[in-house]
Amino acid sequence: MIRLRNLTKTYDGRRILRGIDLQVEAGEFLFLTGASGAGKSTLLKLLYAAERPSDGGVWVAGQRVDQLSRHKLALLRRKIGVIFQDFKLLRHKTVLENVTFVLRFHGLRTREAHRRAYQVLKRLGLHHRQSALPEVLSGGEQQRVAIARALAYQPRLILADEPTGNLDADLAGELLSLLCDINYQGATIMVATHDHALLEAMPARTLVLHQGRIEYDGSWPP
Amino acid sequence: MMHIFEEGLALLRRRGAVSAVLALSMAVPMALAGFTTSLSLWSRPLVALESHATVVRVLLHPRMDVAQRQAWIAEQARNHRDWRLSEIDRETLEERLQVWFPYLEDLLEGEHAIELPTLVEIEAGDPEEVTALAEGPAVIAVGPTSSIDRVLGLTARTMTWLLGAISVILLASAFLLAATWIHLEVFRHADEITIMRLVGATESAIRSPFVVAALIPGICAGLAASVGAWYLIRMVAIAVEAVGLSAPVFPPWLVAAEIGVGVVLPMAAALVTMARHARVGETD
Repeated sequence: MIRLRNLTKTYDGRRILRGIDLQVEAGEFLFLTGASGAGKSTLLKLLYAAERPSDGGVWVAGQRVDQLSRHKLALLRRKIGVIFQDFKLLRHKTVLENVTFVLRFHGLRTREAHRRAYQVLKRLGLHHRQSALPEVLSGGEQQRVAIARALAYQPRLILADEPTGNLDADLAGELLSLLCDINYQGATIMVATHDHALLEAMPARTLVLHQGRIEYDGSWPP
Repeated sequence: MMHIFEEGLALLRRRGAVSAVLALSMAVPMALAGFTTSLSLWSRPLVALESHATVVRVLLHPRMDVAQRQAWIAEQARNHRDWRLSEIDRETLEERLQVWFPYLEDLLEGEHAIELPTLVEIEAGDPEEVTALAEGPAVIAVGPTSSIDRVLGLTARTMTWLLGAISVILLASAFLLAATWIHLEVFRHADEITIMRLVGATESAIRSPFVVAALIPGICAGLAASVGAWYLIRMVAIAVEAVGLSAPVFPPWLVAAEIGVGVVLPMAAALVTMARHARVGETD
């Protein structure tokens, strides 16, 4: 599902990622951890092509993402559900619209998109806030909307950047359980987190990034 | 397709007042363009006068006999195939001259009778060419070469071109208004465009709502421009009728043309502007 070869990313001469090689099979559940500035978010951004690598290659679902045309990249991104650290919600749209608008350009009709969005929001305990605008939601609620949007179209790959950063322990546990369910259904999940409680709650392959390199690749704790 | 339309309407709703201002701003130059186009059409029959052939009168030397005159006419007809030459017979010439000179009959009779020169009328596309005949020994005078028809035609043609150019400039200003509005909207929505790209929206899914959002004020502008152009033409018609001239009319097809321009201009402006700013919202 994911293949990285000698992946390097440099910002203003500073090397954030240094020659990373990685293979993630379809259906795997993977944690990505490390201190702040270790390169977790950058690695995820390279996977959904929000950044381009300085060197090396990135393959997702068999396609080299840094060499795709805009149209093909858009089609690839439809197979990837991204839970952004900063939520990236559309501030003019309600909670329900934030989820349905993605489903609409995946080809779903309004009624079906609303039905599916409502189901996901209900599962995340947000159905009662479906008409609210993001600005009136708490940080945790906004995060759950971002999660709902990423999960609604049942992507084959889910990339989550600190998905529990604004959630309390109960909600974090609920989210993890939700991600596990989706993983059992065959989706590949990659979660970037520095929350050790999350790593301990779920036995899974864990990558530890340190100064732009993979320091550890195995089950948690090392 | 439906959701693109809904997104376009949502964009419009959020910027309702600005969209209304855009529609009105576009309507003004479009109405003026419609008005100038109508005036240009109105002046078209006058333009045709310019191409009417002008008759230039040429007086031949009175000493020329019939054979010499006919040889001269035949030579000119041979050299200038677009000319139509006709010799005015003596009786007709006398009739015409007597209107202006009542004593002509006395001059033409008696011992010291004068000899009338031969009048040849030449119908020529370019009357200036006839002037050159004055240099020949057979010709004693060439009449005036200008005609009121040509002056009117030339003036009307110049006015048509001028009005056409003004229409184009006005439509270009309407295009620029729409393009500037879309440019501002694209930058206002840069964050949204970024998010849409990141969650898999294709370029057409991103751009189409902006096209729809520009199209609706454009159609409203087309309708408003039709009303505006009709009013301006009516005002001119009232003034022109008062001096007894045929008044310009508001052609019914101008409504369709204004709405068509209202559709095409903002669409073109949206497509060009979105293509120019395609990288807005890209993340690297």
